[in-house]
Amino acid sequence: MTPDAGLRQRLGGLLREIEPPPAPLETIVRRGRGIRLRRAGGAAGALALAGIVAAATVLASPAAPGEPGLPVTVPASGTAGPDGVFASGSVNGHAWRLGVQNIADPGYRCIPAITVNGTDADPVDPAPGNYATVALGPAYPGIGFAFVQVRGDVGRLVLDGRQGLPATAVTACGEHYRLVGFAYRLARPPQITAVSAGPGGRAGYQLPLVSAKPPAGTGQTDGMWNNVGPTSGETASGVLASGRTGSIRLLLDAAGDCYEFSSAASAGSPEMGACGPISTPDGPETIMALPLSYPPAKITGPTGYALQVSPATAHLSALLSDGSTQLVTPRVVDGRKYAAFAVPASLKLECLTWLDATGAEIASTFDVPQTGYTQFQP
Amino acid sequence: MSDSRDELAAVPDVISGGGEDFSAFAVSRWPGLVRLAFGLTGDRWAAEDLAQATLARAYVAWRRVSRAHDPDAYLRRILVNTSNRRFRRHRVAEQPGDPPETAVDGHADLVGERASLLAALRQLPARQRAVVLLRYWEDLTDAQIAAALGCSPGTVRSQLSRALAKLRESPVLGEGDER
Repeated sequence: MTPDAGLRQRLGGLLREIEPPPAPLETIVRRGRGIRLRRAGGAAGALALAGIVAAATVLASPAAPGEPGLPVTVPASGTAGPDGVFASGSVNGHAWRLGVQNIADPGYRCIPAITVNGTDADPVDPAPGNYATVALGPAYPGIGFAFVQVRGDVGRLVLDGRQGLPATAVTACGEHYRLVGFAYRLARPPQITAVSAGPGGRAGYQLPLVSAKPPAGTGQTDGMWNNVGPTSGETASGVLASGRTGSIRLLLDAAGDCYEFSSAASAGSPEMGACGPISTPDGPETIMALPLSYPPAKITGPTGYALQVSPATAHLSALLSDGSTQLVTPRVVDGRKYAAFAVPASLKLECLTWLDATGAEIASTFDVPQTGYTQFQP
Repeated sequence: MSDSRDELAAVPDVISGGGEDFSAFAVSRWPGLVRLAFGLTGDRWAAEDLAQATLARAYVAWRRVSRAHDPDAYLRRILVNTSNRRFRRHRVAEQPGDPPETAVDGHADLVGERASLLAALRQLPARQRAVVLLRYWEDLTDAQIAAALGCSPGTVRSQLSRALAKLRESPVLGEGDER
């Protein structure tokens, strides 16, 4: 018997003796739902490594053939104004702007974030090298937006070896950032090379960047930023709702507004998790549904709902399919106001109504998700 | 700005996505995953937990898994990655596992041999252990193992060579190989 055959036979003997129990499908599905939906830093790491190689390739071959890049306007002074806008332009007749703004509600601790047109925020990572892209779907079909936070010794980025974009200094929430932003065609992400600051900027300074594609293995979801840079900790977290049905917890960070829903039966272990775009105080609100039901496995359960609400919202009224209503009082988590509640398995959410402190209706929508999220501008 | 998380797509997409049947997929792959996981962990409970975690991740990424050219390759990669992450986290606490209970039944020599094999496997670094199992249990090629581990085929060959050298130091395996 050859060594290979001997080992194969013994391993076979060992492992075939295992008689697994029936697949615990329900547990698997519940665990799957408990996994927080965040984007791939691991993939990003591989991407970064690949980027070093790719950057060298870009340097070796001058301008890549193809369509010209989309035009970008940057502040001539090299410093963003009070509005925090560091890049702007127009694609297909639609204006766009990338800026840094405070996404906390008025009167609370400042939370700086990059926004596109004042919505769909991404908290700024303090670490230079941060790099993120986002697509806004039907609003800008085929177009992606990207920002790069560059180090102090980087003067500009060059896209595809020919479009130079100088870094703009931005001050927000008392912090200073140097940012480059641009729009690009999703079908043809640009190659990015960093060029050092100073006269005659030395080309070839390598940033660990390769393209504005989403990290490998992740899909680009409308309004959700795909961050490639190193991660910072959570910006905020807290329990939004708890009761007999279970509890809903918020985690706000670069992955978005992420919610975890734990039913009363799960002993605090999240059974469903999902992330959605981060709303700005004045922007569209992301209504997230967290269903515990899974029909293929004949699993039924309640559906959790969570959303960040505008500062003026005092209560949220949820109309259910049996005609009953739930009046939800928002909770403030680290300067942002959120509302969350659960709908029993036997019922459906039909309508949401935003109420101010006097009980007057601010807005109302019947466009509520049963799974995933929708965005609504109250 | 995010951690390793992932290979993962959105759960809501999974629930609404496609006509693929995750349940059937999970049920059919479960026994094989548990056995491979047992080889990696040497512990029956940990193996079932690892197989569960692997399928849970496959569930979250179901839309991508179901469309993959080779869903099993995808699954193996998730399993090995998950196992490696746990190994890094718990390596201090690792203890040799027990052979399967069903192996007892009066076959003392057989049980002893299997315990020795488990112990020998446990002495290998995680990646070498994975290479051995993927080669000799899953019968994968260098390229397939490389895909599962996220390394080059050359690395697979060198890791396998080192692993076999270490396994042959095991009295039982060394003796067996010469038979």
